[in-house]
Amino acid sequence: MSIACGEIKKIYEGGKAGWPALKGVSFEIKKGEFTAITGPSGCGKSTLLNIIGLLDEPSSGSYLLEGKDTAKMSDRERSVFRRDGIGFIFQSFNLLNRVSVLENVCLPMRYAAVPNRKMLARAMNLLARVGLQGKERKLPLELSGGERQRVAISRALANEPKIILADEPTGNLDSVSSKEIMKILLELNGAGLTVVMVTHDMNLAALAGRNLKMKDGLLEC
Amino acid sequence: MLKQILNAMRTGLLEIRAHKTRSVLSFLSIAVGSVVFMDAFASIYHTYKMVRMQKETSGIARLRIAPQYSNWGDVESSKKRDAGVLTYDDVVDLKTKMPELFMVSPEANDWDVVSYKDRRFLSSMSGITPEWRKRDFFYKLRGRFLDWDDVKNTVRVCVVIKRAIPPPSNSLYKAVRQSYDYTRKIKDFIAHTDLLGKTIKLNKFDFTVIGVLEELPESKRPMNGFSFGQSSVLAPITTMQKYGIVDTRRSLELEIDTGEEQTFYDKLKNIKQFLQIRFGDLEAFSVQDKMDDYKSKVRQSIMNAMATLSLGMLAFIAGGIGIMNVTLATVFARTKEIGIRRALGASRWDIMLQFMVEGVMLGLMGGLLGSVLGYFWGGPIKVILGMPQVYVEPWMALIAILIAAFTAFAFAIYPAWLAASLKPADALRTE
Repeated sequence: MSIACGEIKKIYEGGKAGWPALKGVSFEIKKGEFTAITGPSGCGKSTLLNIIGLLDEPSSGSYLLEGKDTAKMSDRERSVFRRDGIGFIFQSFNLLNRVSVLENVCLPMRYAAVPNRKMLARAMNLLARVGLQGKERKLPLELSGGERQRVAISRALANEPKIILADEPTGNLDSVSSKEIMKILLELNGAGLTVVMVTHDMNLAALAGRNLKMKDGLLEC
Repeated sequence: MLKQILNAMRTGLLEIRAHKTRSVLSFLSIAVGSVVFMDAFASIYHTYKMVRMQKETSGIARLRIAPQYSNWGDVESSKKRDAGVLTYDDVVDLKTKMPELFMVSPEANDWDVVSYKDRRFLSSMSGITPEWRKRDFFYKLRGRFLDWDDVKNTVRVCVVIKRAIPPPSNSLYKAVRQSYDYTRKIKDFIAHTDLLGKTIKLNKFDFTVIGVLEELPESKRPMNGFSFGQSSVLAPITTMQKYGIVDTRRSLELEIDTGEEQTFYDKLKNIKQFLQIRFGDLEAFSVQDKMDDYKSKVRQSIMNAMATLSLGMLAFIAGGIGIMNVTLATVFARTKEIGIRRALGASRWDIMLQFMVEGVMLGLMGGLLGSVLGYFWGGPIKVILGMPQVYVEPWMALIAILIAAFTAFAFAIYPAWLAASLKPADALRTE
C-alpha cells in the first residue's frame, strides 16, 4: 500500500489564526518500506501519523492512499480502510482494560464481521506469535508493559493489514521490551508490510530503512 | 446487522455491569414509569372489560323505580306514600301496556327468619318473578330457577344464593365489612351446606330449595355486580305475599330494562307517564336513571385512568431523561474508548449503534423490572393497602416493556449521535 502526501497542512483551531501543526509536508512511502518519522516533541509527528492513518483530516494538501484521494472518501470508506488496511500501535497501548486480552485482539475482527470460530483461531494464533500463549484470558492490566504492547501488535495484525502505523511504540517500555517490539516490527516489515513508526529515539530510527526528520511542522531535507 | 447488534449487546452488558449503580439508577426511573403506566393501563382495560360485560349481562338501558324513602316518616307525605304503593297488579298492567320492555322485574324485599332443622338465621329475602333472571345473572345455577307456574300457582319453592368468596382485602376492610353485614351467618351457612332439594322454613312456612345460584367471583362480574346486603333467598313474589313473608302494604321495587339504548329516554318518559296516570304524581317514587349513573361512572373511571396514564407517561419521560443523562455521562467517560474503536475500524454507525443498544438495554431492563413490580403493585400490594385491585394481563407487561424500550431508544439518540460525531484523533487524545 503506497502513501503519497503533497503539501499537507494541519491547523488546529484556537487563537486568531489557529495553531499550525503541519506547515506543508510532502513525501511518498512505497509499499514494503520501513519509515521512521523523527523529531522533537511538538514538531507534528503524531499529527502526520494520524492523517496517514485516516484518524484526522488535513486542513489542506493532498493525501493519496493506494492511489485514492482520501479527501473524497466517506466516513464509511475511511473506517473500512482503517479496519482492513491499517494496523495501529500506540505508545500507551490503548487496550480496552475491561475486556480480556483475547477480546482485545478480536475487536477489529468483530467490526469486520469475521465468523466467530475463525476469529478466535486467528486471535489465538496471533497471540502465540508474539509469545503470549496462555495469557489470552487475562485482563490487560494484569500484563507487563511489554506484554501489553505485544497484545496491541496482535490486535493491529488482526485483519491482516498492509500498513502498520506505530506511534512511539517503545515510548513506555524498558530497553529489553523495546528491543523485542522492534524485532517484531522488523519481522513484519520483512514479511512485506509497510511500517511507519514515529519515534524520537534515533537508535530505533536507525533500524528503519528510511528516516523522515521533522521540525516545526516541516520535513527537514 | 444482527451480528453488529449482538456485538453491541455484549459490550453493552459489560458496560452495564461495570457501572452498576449508574445503570440501576437509570433503569429504576424507567421501571417506575412502567409501574404507573401498567396500573393506569390495567384500570382502563378493566373499565372497558366491565363496560362490555355490563352490556352483555346487565344491559345499560336500565332504570329502577323505588318508593321515595326520604318521604317516610314525614306526616305530610304519608298520604302520598299510601297513594304510591306499587303492587304486583300495577307491574302486570305496565307489562301489558308496554310489552316492548325487555325486562320488568318486581322485587318485594323484606327481612325474616330462615330455619333449617334446628338452625335459625336472620336473612333478607326477595319475592321475585322469572324476569329477575334476564339481567345481572352472573351466577352458575344448580337445580332450576323459578318459573311462571311457580308464580301463578303460588308454589312454595325458593332459590338460595351462594355468595362468592370476596377478594382478599386488608384486615380493616374485612372488620368493617363483617360488622355491618348482618346476613353474614346465613351466607356462611349457605356457603357450607348443600341445600338443593332440601326443605327450609321461611318464617314458619316450608319451602323447597329448587335451585342454588353460585355467584361468580368479583373479577368476572360487571361494574354493578354489587352483592353486599343483597338477599340470600329468592321465592315467587306471589307466594311471598300470600303467606305474608313480605309486607303487602309496602311498595314493590321495580327493575326495568327498556331494551335498546337509543330508545331509552322515550321509554323512560312513557313509564313516568304511566306512574303519573296511576298515582297522580311522581313524588312517591324515585326513578333512578341507571344509564346516566352508569355513563357518568364510566366517564369518571376513564378520566381517573387517563390522569394516571398521563402520570405514567411523564414518569416514562423522566426515566428517558435519566437514561439520556447516564448515556451522556458514559459517552464522556468513554471518549478514549470511542477513539480506540474508531481507530480499529468502527464506523460512525457502529458507535451510534453501540450507545443506542446500551440505552435500549437499560430501557428493557427497566421495563422488565417495572412489569414485575407493576404486577405485584396491581394485585397483592394494592390489596394489602386496601386499594381496589387491578387485573394485570401479561400483554400489558409486554406493552409496558416495549414503551420503556422505545422511550430509552428515543432518549439515547442524542448521546449516541454525539458519540458518533467525535473525530477519532480528538477522541484518542482524551485522557
